[in-house]
Amino acid sequence: MAQESTKPKLKLAIYWGAACGGCCVSVLDTHEKLLDIVAAADLVFWPIAMDIKYKDVENMPDKSIDLTLFNGAVRNSENKHLAQLLRQKSKILVAYGSCAYMGGIPGLANFFSRNEIFKRAYEETESTLNPDKTIPLHSFKVKEGILEIPEMFNDVFPLNQIVDVDYYIPGCPPQSERLLEVFSAIVSGIGLPPAGSVVGANDKTNCDECKRKKSDKKQIKRFYRPWEIQDDKETCFIEQGVICMGPATRGGCGVRCVEGNSPCRGCYGPPPGATDPGAKMMAAIGTMIAADKPEEIDEIIETIVDPAGLFYRFSLPGSILGRKIL
Amino acid sequence: MEEPRIGVYVCWCGTNISKMVDVEAVTKEVSTLPSVVLSKNYKYMCSDPGQDLIIKDIKSHNLNRVVVAACSPRLHELTFRNACEKAGINPYLFEMANIREQDSWVHTDRTEATKKAIDLVIAAIRRVRYHESLQKRSVNVDPSTLIIGGGISGMTAALEIANAGKKVFLIEKADHLGGQVARFDLTFPHLSSAQQMIGPMIQRVENHPMINVYLNTELKEVKGYIGNFTARLQFMGVEQPEITFGNIIAAVGLKPFDPSVIEEYSYGKFPDVITSLEFEDKLRAGRILTKYGKEPRNVAIIHCVGSRNKKYHEYCSRVCCMVALKFVHEIRAALPDANIFEIYADMRAYGKGHEEFYAMTTHKQIIFLMYDQQKRLPVISEAHRDDDCNMLIEMNELLSGIDIEVPVDMVILMVNMEAHDNVKEVVRAIGVSLCGNQFFIEKHPKLDPVATTTGGVYIVGTCQGPKDIPDSVAQAKAAAARILGTIAQGSVAVEVTTAVVNESLCCGCQTCISVCPYTALSYDEIKKASVVNEVLCKGCGTCGGCCPAGAITSKHFTDRQILSEIEGIMSMSY
Repeated sequence: MAQESTKPKLKLAIYWGAACGGCCVSVLDTHEKLLDIVAAADLVFWPIAMDIKYKDVENMPDKSIDLTLFNGAVRNSENKHLAQLLRQKSKILVAYGSCAYMGGIPGLANFFSRNEIFKRAYEETESTLNPDKTIPLHSFKVKEGILEIPEMFNDVFPLNQIVDVDYYIPGCPPQSERLLEVFSAIVSGIGLPPAGSVVGANDKTNCDECKRKKSDKKQIKRFYRPWEIQDDKETCFIEQGVICMGPATRGGCGVRCVEGNSPCRGCYGPPPGATDPGAKMMAAIGTMIAADKPEEIDEIIETIVDPAGLFYRFSLPGSILGRKIL
Repeated sequence: MEEPRIGVYVCWCGTNISKMVDVEAVTKEVSTLPSVVLSKNYKYMCSDPGQDLIIKDIKSHNLNRVVVAACSPRLHELTFRNACEKAGINPYLFEMANIREQDSWVHTDRTEATKKAIDLVIAAIRRVRYHESLQKRSVNVDPSTLIIGGGISGMTAALEIANAGKKVFLIEKADHLGGQVARFDLTFPHLSSAQQMIGPMIQRVENHPMINVYLNTELKEVKGYIGNFTARLQFMGVEQPEITFGNIIAAVGLKPFDPSVIEEYSYGKFPDVITSLEFEDKLRAGRILTKYGKEPRNVAIIHCVGSRNKKYHEYCSRVCCMVALKFVHEIRAALPDANIFEIYADMRAYGKGHEEFYAMTTHKQIIFLMYDQQKRLPVISEAHRDDDCNMLIEMNELLSGIDIEVPVDMVILMVNMEAHDNVKEVVRAIGVSLCGNQFFIEKHPKLDPVATTTGGVYIVGTCQGPKDIPDSVAQAKAAAARILGTIAQGSVAVEVTTAVVNESLCCGCQTCISVCPYTALSYDEIKKASVVNEVLCKGCGTCGGCCPAGAITSKHFTDRQILSEIEGIMSMSY
């Protein structure tokens, strides 16, 4: 990329919303290739790594950032403000990682209300002592004036429910190799699919690449959690009674979890054409229940621990379901 | 996709719809929706002028989508599809909204019913936008027929088809033809001989040049689809050359219930407690004698053995009451002085001449005793040495409410008819479904009682449910007529709305293979993807529903179509 140094460098921004930090780390996980990124792009905003204030971003001209990788879901008023701000300042806005793409792990909060979450977090947890039942407030009057913190929403949103998104890079976190591919495509402008596409992932789901032996004999009498079976390391997890989200999850990660003898958790999200990965996977699992009588169906289903959390682990806010109606 | 140009037609159905739905309001409300070129209402859309209206509009307004809001699509979807076809557009570019059965007929508030009609029509408009043209297909029909089961049903169907000059392969797992009827002595209600009826029939079947009879033969595997089946047969465990045929009739029948599981009756313990079939054997042999060769002085007939009782079978076997009355006639003729007890739970004499037969029996000096099938079964026990009989039946006589003891020398148990133990093997081979009682399920219980949901597969006789000889014969002839009809046509139309696998999305997980009730899906090792045999596919949508990768779509029932329909129905906020 050295010869391209005469070209004006791209301006790159990376931001985290409701995120764990893993997505930012995945950028660092490009290792020495990060130097190529920095050679091709100036990082203008990256809270985890650089000391720049929101005010500085607000002062940038509109569309002056070439590419923003937005990771994390939108969970509070701060996330929303930054999503809107970065949309305004960026030419290309990418929902980076499962949380920005579908809501991700923070999106599981949509199975509860804000009040339920506050009650659990600030009153009920085993390590909490809060006799006055103090909970965070959006604004609070002290003698020096009014203090404000961001307002936590009742819902968690994927980025595209707040602003228009140009591309989606799935993963929890995205594979660094995929980031590099997408980044070079954006730098060169070659091989970029139409806006709105999922990039850095395959159309086919994980079973396509999975080396485990599969058959049409998926007859399940009891579901197991991974630690409950003696995995033979070669048979399809589902055929061993362990729910693996692989069939309903885009490839692109290199089937890394299954290669590590752990079932796919579904972080890459649904393939094109599947609107709701949780519903799709439940429908598929439903056909595998080998019950001889109706009551047995219930007994077998009972062995699935936390089905909602399992099937919608990364996708609840972005699915048709969206949230639990409370 | 071409820009949709939708014509919407709201039917009054005389006053059937217009009385409860404001058809003018519906017509007006939907007229401004995107892509709706025109919306009209008419008194009877299904009438010739109604259809002509659609045809004329398609031509003059260049419509490429049509919605008719009228009755159930089961009634007139085909009518309007044909009208579309006549006007030159693909019949599948049509959608019907049911505002009669699902609206005007079932509501009493005109305002609400009108709102619902609007919702239903909007849903249809949103859906039809995404409809795609589908092409009709047909396959040729092999004129031979496979019949499984050589009882009276199977033989009747075989003769019917063979007499029309078409080849029949008749397979029977026993070493003789005739089925259960071959065991009967007389038949009810005419008391004519079963033997004289079935004997000549067996001969005609065996000697018929167009019927190949395979005795001691079992069906191992059936492959193919309507018009083009092949089967593997096994004769006494030895594999036979493959046969090819175009249609299948399953006439595998039922078998008598084994009453030894009912403790109260001590069947198998007391030698003179026998089943109705064992009593038929005695009648055919010409002598009614106990185990010790004596003529019984007291004979009891117990009804509903294994029937109408949740512990055994909940259903009624339909024929046993009449068979029991037939026994009464035969016993009375043979043993004029014997005491005959009819121990019944409920007397069912529903058929032609059956009530009269029952009435006639009451003049034969019979003692009718009723028991409560649900609460307390009669109990058979050994008599005391000084009693004047072999056994005693203790029971509560329901009409009098009194506990009584009935002296008996012989007890006939009217056993239920139940499915054969190996019925599932046949079911799997030919691709039909079983109900909870293990009876074969027909395509439609009223309008299509001998067909199944698998094309070219018919069910006749008792395997579809307990029935008597006339009903079995009628079904056999009905199935034969259906098959001769398709043979005469030479080809049959096959399902258009089949499943499609998008091979670029299929990940090869094979979830779909085992869920297909028609064995239409298989895994292609080279493509590493599932493939659909479109001739076998009935478009039920099961595979599309369960495909976790979203790689399977059902034609005419795509996610886009169904979600648009749902969005449409939810779109109005009143």
